[in-house]
Amino acid sequence: MTSPLLEVSNLHVEFDTYGGTVKAVRGVDFHVDAGKTLAIVGESGCGKSVTVQAMMGLIPMPPGRITQGSARLRGQEILGRSTVDGREVRGAQIGMIFQDPMSSLNPTMSIGDQIAEPLLVHRGYSAAQARARAVELLEMVRIPEAARRAKQYPFEFSGGMLQRAMIAMAISCKPTLLIADEPTTALDVTIQAQILDLLRDLQNETGMALILITHDLGVVARMADEVAVMYAGRIVESGSVEDVFYRSSHPYTVGLKAAMPSNDPQQQHELRPIEGSPPDLFSPPVGCAYAARCPHSMGICQQRPAQLFPVGDAHYARCWLQHPESPHRPAELSLGGHHE
Amino acid sequence: MWQYTLKRIFQGIITIWFIATATFVAMHSVPGDPLSSERATTPAIRANLEERYGLNKPILEQYALYIGSFLKGDFGISFTQRNRQVNDIIREHFPVSATLGILAVTFAALGGVLFGALTALYRNRLPDTIIMFLVILGISVPSFVFAALGQLLLVNINNLLGFSLLPVAGWGTVAHMLIPALVLGMSTMAYVTRLMRSSMLEIIHSDYIRTAKAKGLPAGRIFTRHELRNAILPVVTVLGPAIATITTGGFVVELVFAIPGLGRFFVQAVQQLDYTVIMGTTVFYGAFLVTMVILVDLLYGWIDPRVRVQ
Ligand SMILES: Nc1ncnc2c1ncn2[C@@H]1O[C@H](COP(=O)(O)OP(=O)(O)OP(=O)(O)O)[C@@H](O)[C@H]1O
Ligand SMILES: [Mg+2]
Repeated sequence: MTSPLLEVSNLHVEFDTYGGTVKAVRGVDFHVDAGKTLAIVGESGCGKSVTVQAMMGLIPMPPGRITQGSARLRGQEILGRSTVDGREVRGAQIGMIFQDPMSSLNPTMSIGDQIAEPLLVHRGYSAAQARARAVELLEMVRIPEAARRAKQYPFEFSGGMLQRAMIAMAISCKPTLLIADEPTTALDVTIQAQILDLLRDLQNETGMALILITHDLGVVARMADEVAVMYAGRIVESGSVEDVFYRSSHPYTVGLKAAMPSNDPQQQHELRPIEGSPPDLFSPPVGCAYAARCPHSMGICQQRPAQLFPVGDAHYARCWLQHPESPHRPAELSLGGHHE
Repeated sequence: MWQYTLKRIFQGIITIWFIATATFVAMHSVPGDPLSSERATTPAIRANLEERYGLNKPILEQYALYIGSFLKGDFGISFTQRNRQVNDIIREHFPVSATLGILAVTFAALGGVLFGALTALYRNRLPDTIIMFLVILGISVPSFVFAALGQLLLVNINNLLGFSLLPVAGWGTVAHMLIPALVLGMSTMAYVTRLMRSSMLEIIHSDYIRTAKAKGLPAGRIFTRHELRNAILPVVTVLGPAIATITTGGFVVELVFAIPGLGRFFVQAVQQLDYTVIMGTTVFYGAFLVTMVILVDLLYGWIDPRVRVQ
C-alpha cells in the first residue's frame, strides 16, 4: 500500500473567546490519496473550515491555537510551518478556494494580476510571463475572452466567474491538492453544477487531489471518492462514498441522509430534520457528542466517548453500537462484520 | 473617466458661483459698510466714495457688476488699503498660505497613514497604546496651543544647542516651513491615524486577505499590495475636507509664527467689512478648495477601479 498524499492525525484546534475556550476540532484523523476526492460533510459549526484552515496556516492566532496533531504532505509535516516549508506549501503545493467568491478577491487589483501573483512569488516568473500565464489559466477555467477579462476587476465579474477566477488562481502553481471550502454554497444551482464539473475536469487534467467541504450530500455523491462525516469537532464516520451512503454505520449519517431531499424519484422520502442541536463546544459532553440527539442512545454513550470501530474495509464509525457486544442492532444501521 | 472629470469640473464651477453669491448676500445683509469705519466723512465725501465704488447702485446691479468682474478675473481694489488691487494681495500672500497648507496636508496624510497602519499591525500592544494616546491629544488640543508649544520648544532647542537649528518665526526657506506645517497638520494627522487604524483593522480580517495568505504571499507583499491600497480609500475621501480645515485653520499658525500668509488679510478684511477683499479672498479660497476636492476625487478614482468605470 502506498502512503497517502496527505495524512492528518489527531488534530486539535481551540479558540479563546470571551465566553471561554471553544474546542472547535477535537482529534481529527483523515487522509487523502493522490488524485482522489475526499468530501468532508457535517452541520454548520462542526469544525470543517477550521480543520482545513489549520492545515493552511490560516487560523488567526490568537485567538486560535493548534494544541495537538500533525498534518503531513508526502510525509513532510506542514502544521505550523508557514514560514519555513509553509511558504512553499501554501498556494504552491496546496491551493485553496473559499465559500464567498464575491468577497474573496481583492477589489482594487485586476483579476489577471491576482492570478499571476502566486507565479511571481513561488515560481519566479517575470511579470510578462505571469500575465500571459494568467490569461491561459483563465482560459483553462473556461472564461471567454480571457485576455480582456484578465484586465478587469472583481466587481466586473459575476459570482460564478469569480469562483472560476479563484480556481484559476488556486491551481496556478499546479498544486497536488486543492482544498475547496463550500465552493458552491454562495452560487445558484446551475452555476453550482458548472463549477463542480469544472473542478472534476481540472482534476482529470492535472491529477490533483481534492478536499471538498460541503453540506450537500448530492454534491458528495457526485464528486467524492471518500467521505468523512464530521460532528462536533470529530469525524464520526469515514469510508468510500458507497460505504458511507449505502452502508451508513453511524446514526448521525443516517440522520443527515433522512434530512436531505433526494433528486431520485425512486428514493423520495419524507424529510426528517435531526432533532435538537449540536453540543456546546465550550464544554463538550464527556460521552458521545451525538448521544443527546441519537435515537439509539445507550447508557454507555453518555459516559464514554465512542471508539472508532472498523465496519468494513477502510470504513470506520465512531459509535458504541458498532461494539461487538452492543445489545442494540438498529436495522437502519450497517453493522460491522463481527456481528454476523 | 473623461466624462467623469468634466462632470466634476462643471459641478465645481457651480459650487464656486454659489460661494460667490452666498458671500455677496451675507456681506450686504451685515449692518454697516466699508465706509462706516472711515473717520470724519462728510455726507459729500461719503457720496463721492459711494459713487466711486458703485455702492449707491441698486443691489442687483452691484451683483451683476461683481460677477461680471470676477469673470474677467478682476477682484477690484481694496477699500481699506486704497492703493492695492485685491489681485495683488492674493498674488503676494496666497502662495505662502498654499505652501504651508499643502505641506501640512502632506504631513497629515503621510503621518496618519503610517501611524494608522502601525497601530493596526500592533493592535493592543505598546506602539498602538502610545500612538492612540497621542491621537486623542492631537484631536482635542487646539492648534494655537500646539503652535505656542512648538515655538517654545524650538526656542529651547536653539538655546540648548547654542545655534539656530530651525528658525523660530518668519518665512522664506524650507527650514521656516517645517514646524508650522507640522503644527498645522497635527489634528488632521491624528484624525487620519484613527481612520486608517479602523479601516486597516477591517481589512486585515477580510476574506481577500485570507485569500492572499492562502496564496502563500509574503507578509510584506500582502501589506503593500493588498492591505494598504484598500485601507487608504476612506482616508482619501476625507483629504478634501481636510485641506479645507487646514487652509482655513492656517490663520492662527500664520499669526504665531509671523508668516505673511493670506489668512491675516482675510480676517482683517472681515473686521473692517472690506467688501472687495472679503469677496476676492473668499471666492479665491473657494475655487482653490473646489479644485483640491476635484483632484482628490480623481485620485480616488485612480485608486479604486469601481469609481473609475461608473
Ligand atoms: N476565529 C474564531 N474565533 C472563535 N471561534 C471560532 C473561530 N473560528 C471558528 N470558531 C468556532 O469553531 C467552530 C467550528 O467552526 P467552522 O468554521 O470550522 O465550522 P464549519 O463546519 O466550517 O461550519 P460552516 O458549515 O458553517 O462553514 C465554531 O463553533 C466556531 O464558532
Ligand atoms: Mg465553514
